[in-house]
Formats: sequence, structure tokens, C-alpha cells
Amino acid sequence: MTAAAPQPLITLRDAVRTFPTAAGTFTALDGVSLSIARGAFAVVIGQSGSGKSTLLSLLSGVDRPTRGDVVVGDTAVHALPERAITAWRGRNVGIVFQFFQLLPTLTAAENVMLPMDFCDRWPGAERRARAMVLLDRLGVADQADKLPATLSGGQQQRVAIARALANDPAVLLADEPTGNLDSKTAVQILDLFAALAREGQTVVMVTHDMAARNRATHTIALADGKVADDDHGRSHA
Amino acid sequence: MRNLRVLKVWRDVRLHGARTALVIVAIAIGIAGAGSVLDTWALLRRVTVEGFLGTNPPSATLRMDAVTAPVLAAVRAMPELRAAESRRTVMGTVTSDSTARTAMLFVSADIATHTIGRVAGDSGTWPPPDRAFVIEHSSANFANVHPGGTVSLRLGEGAPLMLPVTGMARDGTLPPGWMEHVVYGFVTPATIVALGGDSTPNELRIVVREHADDRDAIRRVAARVRVVAEGAGARVRDVVVPVPGRHEHQAQMDSLLYTQGAFGLLLLLLSGFLVVNLVTGMLAGQQREIGIMKTLGASPEQLTVMYLGLSLGLGLVACIVAIPLAAVIGRAYAQFSASMLNFEVGATPIPRWSFAVQLVAGALLPVLAALVPVRRGCAVSVSESLRDTGLGSAPATAAGRLFGASGLARPLLLSLRNAFRKRERMVLTLLTLATGGAVFLGALNLRASIRDSVSTLYEDELRYQLSVRFEQRHEGAALVALAMSEPGVEHAEAWSGARAAVVGDDSLPRSAFVVTALPADTRLVSFPASAGRWLAASDSEGMVVTPRLLEDEPALQLGARVQLLIAGKARTWRVVGIVGAGPSAGAYVTRGALARATGDSSAGAVALRLTPMSAAAQADFIQRIRARYEAANLLVSSTNLVQAGRGALEDHLLMVASFLGLMSQLMIIVGGLGLASTMSLGVLERTREIGVLRAIGARHGAILTMIQVEGLVVTLLGWALAIPLSLPMSVILERAFARIMFEVPVTLVPDAFGVVAWLGVVLVVSFVACLWPALRAMRITTAAALAYE
Repeated sequence: MTAAAPQPLITLRDAVRTFPTAAGTFTALDGVSLSIARGAFAVVIGQSGSGKSTLLSLLSGVDRPTRGDVVVGDTAVHALPERAITAWRGRNVGIVFQFFQLLPTLTAAENVMLPMDFCDRWPGAERRARAMVLLDRLGVADQADKLPATLSGGQQQRVAIARALANDPAVLLADEPTGNLDSKTAVQILDLFAALAREGQTVVMVTHDMAARNRATHTIALADGKVADDDHGRSHA
Repeated sequence: MRNLRVLKVWRDVRLHGARTALVIVAIAIGIAGAGSVLDTWALLRRVTVEGFLGTNPPSATLRMDAVTAPVLAAVRAMPELRAAESRRTVMGTVTSDSTARTAMLFVSADIATHTIGRVAGDSGTWPPPDRAFVIEHSSANFANVHPGGTVSLRLGEGAPLMLPVTGMARDGTLPPGWMEHVVYGFVTPATIVALGGDSTPNELRIVVREHADDRDAIRRVAARVRVVAEGAGARVRDVVVPVPGRHEHQAQMDSLLYTQGAFGLLLLLLSGFLVVNLVTGMLAGQQREIGIMKTLGASPEQLTVMYLGLSLGLGLVACIVAIPLAAVIGRAYAQFSASMLNFEVGATPIPRWSFAVQLVAGALLPVLAALVPVRRGCAVSVSESLRDTGLGSAPATAAGRLFGASGLARPLLLSLRNAFRKRERMVLTLLTLATGGAVFLGALNLRASIRDSVSTLYEDELRYQLSVRFEQRHEGAALVALAMSEPGVEHAEAWSGARAAVVGDDSLPRSAFVVTALPADTRLVSFPASAGRWLAASDSEGMVVTPRLLEDEPALQLGARVQLLIAGKARTWRVVGIVGAGPSAGAYVTRGALARATGDSSAGAVALRLTPMSAAAQADFIQRIRARYEAANLLVSSTNLVQAGRGALEDHLLMVASFLGLMSQLMIIVGGLGLASTMSLGVLERTREIGVLRAIGARHGAILTMIQVEGLVVTLLGWALAIPLSLPMSVILERAFARIMFEVPVTLVPDAFGVVAWLGVVLVVSFVACLWPALRAMRITTAAALAYE
């Protein structure tokens, strides 16, 4: 049975997201309500089309619910105007993509420094040093001055995670971060997320990888846009 | 750390070097085209205004029988005048290269010290020594008279003198000799005496002390000068008060430059279209990165500044290339145009403000062009940016459905549909090409209209080949009878002429113009009346005027009754018609009417229609007819072959059409660049799609054909659209030309040769513009395309 949940950082209340299609309205999320605790390592699993990525988009403010509430910390994300949402996201959310999405013309360190630059979060003179600390922590400091195209998939994903952490966000959202990596590197990335969560970082990861459940503190299973299972059962190992 | 964003933009630019270069070239062409016109305009304004005013042009010129020392002294004593000077102007004949031409000689003992209408020595000796000839700059090439050579000069029927040409000088107050078909020259009074002429000054030039820019005030002063001169014993023939501070041909030059400037701006606008296309394409390629940057916290404003900054940078780089290029072209064109006005550009610097305007326009054009696509691109939601699959979607269009139902082969169908996928981009490319084509066809139409008009003028309207002017006036019938007795003359008419001036509301005469008097039933000219009618025998006070004179003297409207001062007598005349008679300003009356007005029925010239004969035979004929008249003691002052002026006039007029043709070529190049960029972007955006086509069996040839056909569809549409667009363009060009030069018939039917030539141009443009994108598409491998992000 689930343990008593700590104070939630993320709350969804009756969130619905529909898309108009040629065949009619498609409901990607259908009345989803859930909460994720601060410092949790939550994985969202489900079949293709179950609504996992849509859920992540709502949490990051990249997309808005058709109906319902999305609250992260004290912020009602669903109600933020577009202009404010960008600034909020830059400071409070780090996003890791399946295909890394590093900017190809910037070096690894420059990619990490870019969010700091946009959000003006750290003094200009300190940004490079902070980027190097993050890259070092992720084991790719020696790749700092290389362009993404010269890095392996695993190295690119580590740089992408460092970039997501650049502004010290409250939430780290990862969309299939291991989907494009070999199994050994995938395990390393999962270990990394688990470690981050243990240090107090809230991590929400969408994945097909059932093995991820073993490292997560919170598992949310989606099916046809609805929460099929919401297990807060594990504590940090 | 703003530099990181600059760094990203800079590296993106380097990554897409070819596309960036295309944008820079497009902006550079636009700025160079418009900038060269601006530089020309700025230089010409400076050179003509400063050059003209630098000569200290006369406020008024009074032509008299003789400006004696007492007359000059009396006038100089007038407090209203800052200066008064005299010189003699005499007509003669200059012969060089066996060709006799009308000469206007300026005679003064102290011409080098004159302060009014200062003449500057250009090369060789200045002022002219005795028994020597100094040619005026604007006549030198036309008459092929240059320092170091010799000319034969004679006055009337006096004995010709062979004179050395010892120098060349420039008189900025004169309309160019080549345009007026007059050889201007400077000689000393001693030379005139040696030629058997009178060296007494006959022209008094004055500069007023106050209100020097008020033509009416100058007229009033000139009228008082006339009274003073006549009081001192002079007989004043006419008074000319030009528009103060304005060269005689300045209005024409302004119209020409404004028209060209308008096309320069059009070129700039079309370059702007290309920049819009390129920036839109660039942003389309950056859409995913924009989405990612937004997830990293980039605000739309930050992204807008990044991409507008990029556009600004591209504009500034284009300026580095374009502004010096514009300066070179502008200076060359200004030099050419200035020579038309008889000015020298020399080392006169282009005004700095012209460079500043070009820099601001060059920097802002891409920013303005990019504003909408950047705002739109940066406003795309993050989810939309990240959702892009790389396989473009093609909205169903009427054209697409039409092609689908046409039964065309699939690959061709794909090309046709591709051409319509990015409609905004295609419309801008199409508009650029079609506008260039419309100007191209319009310029060809204008060229044809000019040629037609010149042909009409010289073949239909001027129905004589030779005019003979006499030193004195004679009885017209005698002049005609003698001409008709010479073999080779089909028809002869005696003409006379006078200088006339409209008497203004203030009872003062305005500037003088030439009135030609000919028989009412003349068979030697046939000018079409654009309003009213030609002269009738009963027109005892009727006159017809040319549109150019009407421009100078707006009082001479059709039906107007005006007071004209002719030979010192004021009389009322009525304008009965306005006739197109080429670019000259003048009026026509019947000989009878002029005789009644002046009390003199004699004639000063005969016009002769000759039987068809070769140029050599015409030269022989001229010798014979001169000898014939001189044997009868009728002294010939000059002979003028009508056709002699045709080539110069045609070249002069076609120069305007040539410039427009050059502008159209630049527009077509911009259109071609637009097509190349559109196709390159299409290939870039459809990389994955092309990979899919390759995966299902499309070979090199099929890909190449698909891209080339797609480009061909756009260019053929541009070709077709240019044809109807050329009609209003032709009207605009021909109306503008009418303002600058003279009325030409509007040609609304595009010239068949022009349409075919335009087709040839678009086929070449299409092939060249699509070559690079097609080769690039051919190099795309299936694996690379499907991995393309």
C-alpha cells in the first residue's frame, strides 16, 4: 500500500486535453488528477497514445489543458499568460528530450550556459564556471568545448541534463530520455535521475522502459488518457 | 552574457553560408540600384546647382543692336544692379570634317575677366588669342572639334578663315551644344573683324542686387534697364529672364531622376520581398531550435531581438558591398547625365547624407522585411515547434485538386503541387519576377514608342530634308523660285521666324521663344494636333504651340488670347492648336500673320524637299544650292540637313529607356535570386520527403526533374503575369517619359519579340536558379534524409 505522501510540488486536478483532428476530437488526457511530491522521482508509463507526453507538456507549460488545473509549487501554470509562462518555465522547469535537442552550433558548455543567459539567473562571469560544475557532475566536463555532433548519444544526453539543471529548476521533466540510448547508457541516466531526486530534485520522467519503475519513488500509469495506476509506494533507495 | 546569443546567430550564419550570401547579395543589389540613383541625384544636384550658380548666371539678358560704351555706363550706374556686362553673340558656320554646322560665337575682348556667366578654361589656351578658336566643351564631340585641330569659320558669306583650335572652355549657363545642334565657340573681336564681321557687343547681361530669386522682381528691373538702355540710344530687341537659379534643362533632369528614383525604390522593395522569403525560410529551418530555446526560458522578445539583430547585421554587411558599388555606378551615371547639362562632375564628392540614407535604408530594409516573419516565427507555440516531423504538409488547394484531376504523371503532379505548397513565398517570388518582367517589357515598349515617334517626326512630320538660312531676309517668292530651278528639288517653301515673348499680367515681356512662320498650306511639315487644329490661311492671329512651350508658358492654353511682343510690337494672338513637334519648345504661325504683325513679309530661310538621293549626293546638292544663291547675291548663313539630328536625338532619348532596361535586368536578377532561395528552402524543408522518395525508388533524374519543373512552373507563371502587368507599366513609363522629354504614343500591345525574349529570359532564370537546389536535392541520401532533424 502507499506510504503517506509528502507535501506535493505538482498537482493536476481533472486535467483534460483534447485535440481537433480530421476524424473528430481526440482526447489525449481525460480528467487526470494526480499529485507529485517534492523530491520525488516519478515515472509516467503507458502505451503509445496513452497521453504521457501530453501530460509532460502540461506540466512544463508547453501546452495548456483544455480544462482543469495544473499547479506547480505555488503557480497555477494553466492560468499563466504566454509571456509569463516562458519566464516561469526558464526558472522553474528543466526539460530533457528523447533526441537531446542540443543546439548544434553551440558547444556543450555553451548549450548549458544558454538557459542562464536567457533567464539572467546567474551573473555573466559565473555562468561558464557553473556550466563546468554541472558538466563535471554529469561526467562530461572533458567534452565542454565540443560541438554536439562530435559527442556520443549518451554524452549528448548528459549535456542535455546539465542544460536542464542550469537554472537550478524545482522540477526536471524528461520525455523518454533513454529511448535513444543503448541499455548501458540508459541505466546510467536512470541512476543519475535517481541520485538527483535523492538530493531533493523533483524528477518526472515519461518512459516506455519498465525497468525505470524499479528506481522511481512514484509510478503513474496512463491508459487511454486516464490514470490507470498511481503508485507513491517507494521511497528513495 | 548577450554574446552567447550573438555567437549562436553567427555560427548559424556560417552553417548556412550559401543562403546567407544570397540574402546579402539580394540586399546589396537593392541598395546598389537605389543607391546609385540617389548618388546620381545628389551629385547632379550639387554639381548643377553649385556649378550653375558658381558661374554667377545672369538674372536677365537684353539683346540689342549695339551695346555701346555709353549704354553700358548708363546701365552700370543703376543702383538695382550688382553687375552688368556686354558681349557679342554672332551666328556663323563652322566646318570641320567637311561638315558645315551652325556656330554660335561669343565675342569679347575681356571674356576671361567676365564675372557674369563665368566661362572656365578646360584645356589649352584661355582666353582665346586673336585669330584662334576656343571650342565650348559640350560641342566638342558633337562637332568633332578638339584643341590641336583646325576649323574653317565664316560669318555669312564672308571669306572663311582657317583657325587653329587652341583650347576648350566650359560655359555652364548654356544648354548643351550637342543637344541644341549648335557649335559654341569663343573668339576675340579681332577675329570677328578678320572674318568681316562687326565686333560691337549686342548682348547685355545683368545681375540684380536684390530679390535675385524672384523672377517677377527681375522682370521689373529688366524693364527699367531696357528703358535706361533705350534712353542711352540702344535698340533693345528682346529681354530674356530665365527662372532664377535654375538651369534651362534642370526640370527635365529632375523628372528623369525622380522617375529613375522611383524604379530604384521599386528595386529596393523587390529586394525586400526576397529578404522576407529568405528570413521566413531561415526561421522555418530554425523552428525547432526556437522551440527548444523557448523551453530554456527564451522570451519571444529575446528571440525577436536575436533574429532582427541578424537581419540588421546582414543589411550592414550588404551595405559594405553596395554603398561603394552604388558610388561607382552613381558617379559614372552622374558624369554622363551632367555632360548632358554641360557640367563636369570631376572629383566633386558625393554628399555624405546620400551614404547615410543608403546605410539607414540598407540596415533597416532587412529588419523591416524580417519583422513580420520573425514575429510570426517567434510566436509559434513550443509544442508546435517541437511537433514538426520533417515531412511537410500540403494544404489542399484548388490548383492542387485541378492538377489531381488532370491525369498528369505523378512526378509532374508532385512538382506542380510543390510549387503551390508555400503560397506566400511563391506569391512574393512570382511578384518579383513578374514586376521585373513588366518593367522589362515596358522598357521595350517605351523603346519601340521612342523609335516610332522619332521615325514619325523625321519621316512623316518633317517632310523636308534641307533648310537653308540666309544672312538677310529676302522676298520669299524669289528664294523659292531659285530653289525650284535647281535639279533635285521637289518642293520648296520660304519660311520666316521671329523671337516672341508673352506679355505678362504686369505688362512685362516674359522669356522669348522662337515663332516659325510658314505657309498656311505648308506641305513640308505635318504635325499632329493633340488639341485644337493646325493653322488655316485665314488665321490672321492664330498660332499653334508645342507642348514643351506650353510647359514653359502655361498662359498659352488652347483657345487663350495672349499678348505677344514680336519685333518690339505687342499684338494679340489666339492659340488654335497644340501640336506635337518633337522635344522642342516653339510656336508656329502663318507667314501672312507674322508679316501683318511685324510689317515685314520677307523670309529668312527656305525648306526644301529633295528627290531621293544618297548622302554624298545631298552633300553635293548643298554645295550647288549655296553657290546658286550666292551667285544671286543671296548670302547663305547656314544649311541644315534634317536627318543630321536624328541619330543624336534618338540616342539621347533611348538613353532613358536603356536605364530602365538596366533596372529591369536588376529586378529580374533579384527575381532569379528569389527563385533560387525559394527552391533552396523548399529542398531544405523537404529533405526528409526527398529521402522518402529516394527510398521508394526515385532516381537522380526524377529528383532533378521534379525541382526544375517546380521552378519552371513559378517562372512561367511569372512570365504570364508580367504580360498584363506590362500594360500599366508601359503607360506609367510613357507618361513619365512625356514629362521628361516629349509625348510618345502609348504602346499597349506588348511587342511579340519582347514577349518571346522575356520567355527566353525566364527559361534561363528558371534553369540557373534551380540548378543549385536541384543538385543539392540529388545529393541527399536516404539515410541522411531520414535522420534529418
